[in-house]
Amino acid sequence: MLKRHRRETSIALVIVALGLVLAGVAPAYFASDNLQDLFLGNMPALIVALGATLVILTGNIDISAGSMFAICGVVAGVVGKGGAPMPVVALSACLAGAALGALNGALVAYVRIPSVVVTLATMVALRDGLRWVTQGTWVQDLPSGFQWFGLSQGTYPFVAAAVVIVLQAGLGWGMRNLAAGRAVYATGSNEHAARLAGFDTARITSSVFALAGALTGLGALLNSVRFNQIPSNAGIGLEMKVIAAAVVGGAAISGGQGSVAGTLLGVVLLGAVGPALTFLGVNAYWERALQGAIILAAVTIDAVREGSDRRRAREVLAGAA
Amino acid sequence: MTGGVRARWFPNGEWIVLLALAGEVALFSAVARNFATVGNFFEVTRLSVELGLLAIAMTPVVVTGGIDLSVGSMMGLAAVVFGAAYRDGHLPIAAAAILALLVGVAGGSLNALLIARFRILPIIVTLGTFSLFRGIAEGMTQAAVNYTGFPAQFVALGQGYLWGVIPAQLPVFVVVFAAYVVLLHRSVVGRGWYAVGFGASGARYAGIPVARRIALAYVLSGLMSSLAALVYVAHLGQAKSDAGLGYELDAITAVVLGGTSVFGGRGTMWGTLVGLAALAVLRNGLHLAALPSELTGVLTGTLLVATIALDRVRSRARRTANVYSTGDVAPEGLAASPQHPGEALAGLDASAAEDTVKNSQVAVLCAAVLGGALLVAGTNVWLVRSLVPPGRPSDAAGPAAPSQARRPVVAMMPKAKGDPYFVSCRAGAEEAAKELGVELIWDGPTSLDAARQNELVENWITRKVDVIAVAVENRGGISSVLRKARDRGIHVVTWDSDADPDARDFFVNQATSEGIGNTLTDEAARILGGKGEFAVITGALSAANQNEWIAFIRKRLAAKYPDLKLATIRPSDDDRDKAFSETQTIMRVFPAVRLVMAISAPAVPGSAEAVRQANRHDVNVIGLSLPNINKPYVHDGWVQTVVLWNTRDLGYLTVLAGARLAREGIPPGTPAIEAGRLGTIQIRGTEIVLGAPTMFTKANIDKFDF
Repeated sequence: MLKRHRRETSIALVIVALGLVLAGVAPAYFASDNLQDLFLGNMPALIVALGATLVILTGNIDISAGSMFAICGVVAGVVGKGGAPMPVVALSACLAGAALGALNGALVAYVRIPSVVVTLATMVALRDGLRWVTQGTWVQDLPSGFQWFGLSQGTYPFVAAAVVIVLQAGLGWGMRNLAAGRAVYATGSNEHAARLAGFDTARITSSVFALAGALTGLGALLNSVRFNQIPSNAGIGLEMKVIAAAVVGGAAISGGQGSVAGTLLGVVLLGAVGPALTFLGVNAYWERALQGAIILAAVTIDAVREGSDRRRAREVLAGAA
Repeated sequence: MTGGVRARWFPNGEWIVLLALAGEVALFSAVARNFATVGNFFEVTRLSVELGLLAIAMTPVVVTGGIDLSVGSMMGLAAVVFGAAYRDGHLPIAAAAILALLVGVAGGSLNALLIARFRILPIIVTLGTFSLFRGIAEGMTQAAVNYTGFPAQFVALGQGYLWGVIPAQLPVFVVVFAAYVVLLHRSVVGRGWYAVGFGASGARYAGIPVARRIALAYVLSGLMSSLAALVYVAHLGQAKSDAGLGYELDAITAVVLGGTSVFGGRGTMWGTLVGLAALAVLRNGLHLAALPSELTGVLTGTLLVATIALDRVRSRARRTANVYSTGDVAPEGLAASPQHPGEALAGLDASAAEDTVKNSQVAVLCAAVLGGALLVAGTNVWLVRSLVPPGRPSDAAGPAAPSQARRPVVAMMPKAKGDPYFVSCRAGAEEAAKELGVELIWDGPTSLDAARQNELVENWITRKVDVIAVAVENRGGISSVLRKARDRGIHVVTWDSDADPDARDFFVNQATSEGIGNTLTDEAARILGGKGEFAVITGALSAANQNEWIAFIRKRLAAKYPDLKLATIRPSDDDRDKAFSETQTIMRVFPAVRLVMAISAPAVPGSAEAVRQANRHDVNVIGLSLPNINKPYVHDGWVQTVVLWNTRDLGYLTVLAGARLAREGIPPGTPAIEAGRLGTIQIRGTEIVLGAPTMFTKANIDKFDF
């Protein structure tokens, strides 16, 4: 069990270590208010990262998530400002995301353009397209029922937490136990073999992209309703953040390996580090370097452990022969 | 047979990009002013040298099946090391340059070590070093130090000409390109790169030192990044930690556009050159045709998808034809062992796939993509036309069109187009253009980017506009280009922030940095009663303006308010949401902070929302921002004061000054000008002074709409 979830356990250990340091130096970090803020602040990235994980599991990558995030937020705002009820607003944000994701998916799965290229293109095109349409203006004067979904500030975190728990648990269970989930792993491990085994890999890949888009829309929506106006430049650099989280959490870029639970840990680690450095009194100017170093350290430790495993396996095989 | 010729010269479908390039050239020759000239040809090459060096070095990396996301960040690090070694280390310029190149080699070696030795996927390693290199550069300089004052011979490398026409950096590019052509296409090393990219295990069995070959590609990539950094520093005359920001994506785009497969094993240097040219010409042509910069991204994305989709369709047709004659050459070897970086993305190799779609479906999708692009381009041309103030033949009925033979063209550049601050300036600029009957070109970088500003000014010089008005991002870098514009008889006005005084006719001054710093500090002191702690939320850590304001804030504190303490400075990256969470953290970590001073337009509402949600009535928010996005917070008492000048008037006055310069000139020593609805505006020396900053408070904020 531990062996199979080795990356997850390494990351969990790093998180625990960070937690112990914080508990010693800055116990205020664990105040419930702070934890709630951290949760709300990282929840959108987590939801987007779940989608990114699925895409990575199919052996693809989606670097257009940040641009889609901005567009979905603006769509939610425009629909909400038009006076639509909140369920319609939510639906439109998710649909906008799903449509853009489906475009990526179709180009990857059916036209067979590499996903790096497709999403690089849509990332640039969507971002500049949004800039051009909005000319940088924000969506303002939202109806009062927009912020917090019309709930109160106190109850919204519970709703958001419920959504996240349902998503996380549902995806975690589904990827393990549902045929659709296994099909995603099969596609990512070896697309050729999966096709020979009767999976419609193109449909699987394109649906995963669409689902990831819908999740990006959901993340953008849940983020937008925390405020009462929507900027048009949101989500710059979000794609790097979520890919880093998924990868640190053990997802293999080559596909077929990784879990949504690992991604959760990755988001927790990367999301906790930034504020933690402030709590520890680290100067803001060094934060980016430290974050890069942490990513490299996590994957290097893993690679070294894997390397020694491989050597051992080779010795065992040699002995058997 | 034509197919044979095509396969010989364009093995990877480079002809598609070549066609696209030819199309671009034909189109822009028709619509853009002064596009098809020798001078412009050389300008395009000058502006693409830095990017070109990165793209050249990226090609072998991609050919081995890898990717290097850290090249842009390495440019930042090498630039800063170079600047520090020269200015602070007092090394001779050559020694500093060698040191910078060594840093590039070291960074490339780190990538190489982790990728080739530890066998970590390139995309992850370079994602890590992407943050690491930039982070070290920011940490070293506190993101603020801007190294300038390089010797003239060195700066000439980036700004000078050989024999009056050839940009000085072009030979560097040519030499590097030639070396890489030999290395990739004519040497054992190059064959090795292809072999590794095609199948690392196979290459290993064939006796190729796989790890060494892969390592070499990354080390060279690091070296070329630092060389690009040197050219960049010479080009702009400054070295700062944000050098090369975002260049990695452009470089990858150029490589992929040139037909190099991201799965490795195929691609040529010529292809990269064509891809690079397609990108550069697109950008240049759009500027010369006065189409908005946002189109660059939209069209680049479309071009990328369209060319590769076409290539896919074509190669699939060929493969289907060959399948029965040659047997299925399924590259199982590629997909079998995913543990090697060379096969990073092999799991999704498309060439292994049978056709699951009909060509007709592909054609429909391609048509949809192209149709979408045309739609965007078409509506945009229409939109731009409709934005241009009246006076065209088709629009003769427009109001107050002056009866001059030719209307002066005022090209006006903000620091960043999407920024709400500059968006509101634009409204005033358009108002003035309409009133005075001048043609206004409004364009600029889509995000803060000194290099892009220079490029745009160069393009405007080529286009021969009458007036160039720039909100200067980087004083040292842009002044030389502005001087060139003045030499060519173009009037130059600076606004928002100034260039060197001899590089422009007039500076439309809204408020000095010192004035802003003092006003903000005084206001903070007033609210806090002269003592206590406050925190600053800035834009990006490397933003030049904000760093200048912070310097004056510190000065004012030291001089006048010894009991007022600046607790911390946090970045918001001009992102409302980041300002929000930074403010939350500040309130926890520094409980004594009673005031948050946010000095980036989106940061003020972000901070205010954080204070509001925490219900901390004891924390005040002030800052530099726009009235509209802060109205709710000012009215509810979360934001005390927003400091700003009337941005609409700033845009108005700038265009007015430009038009006056172009029509009748403003003789030196003029004490004041009549400025339309603004009344009489004073001129101090060569500075046209808009007036003191306005303080927006509950009492007056509703009177302003921008």
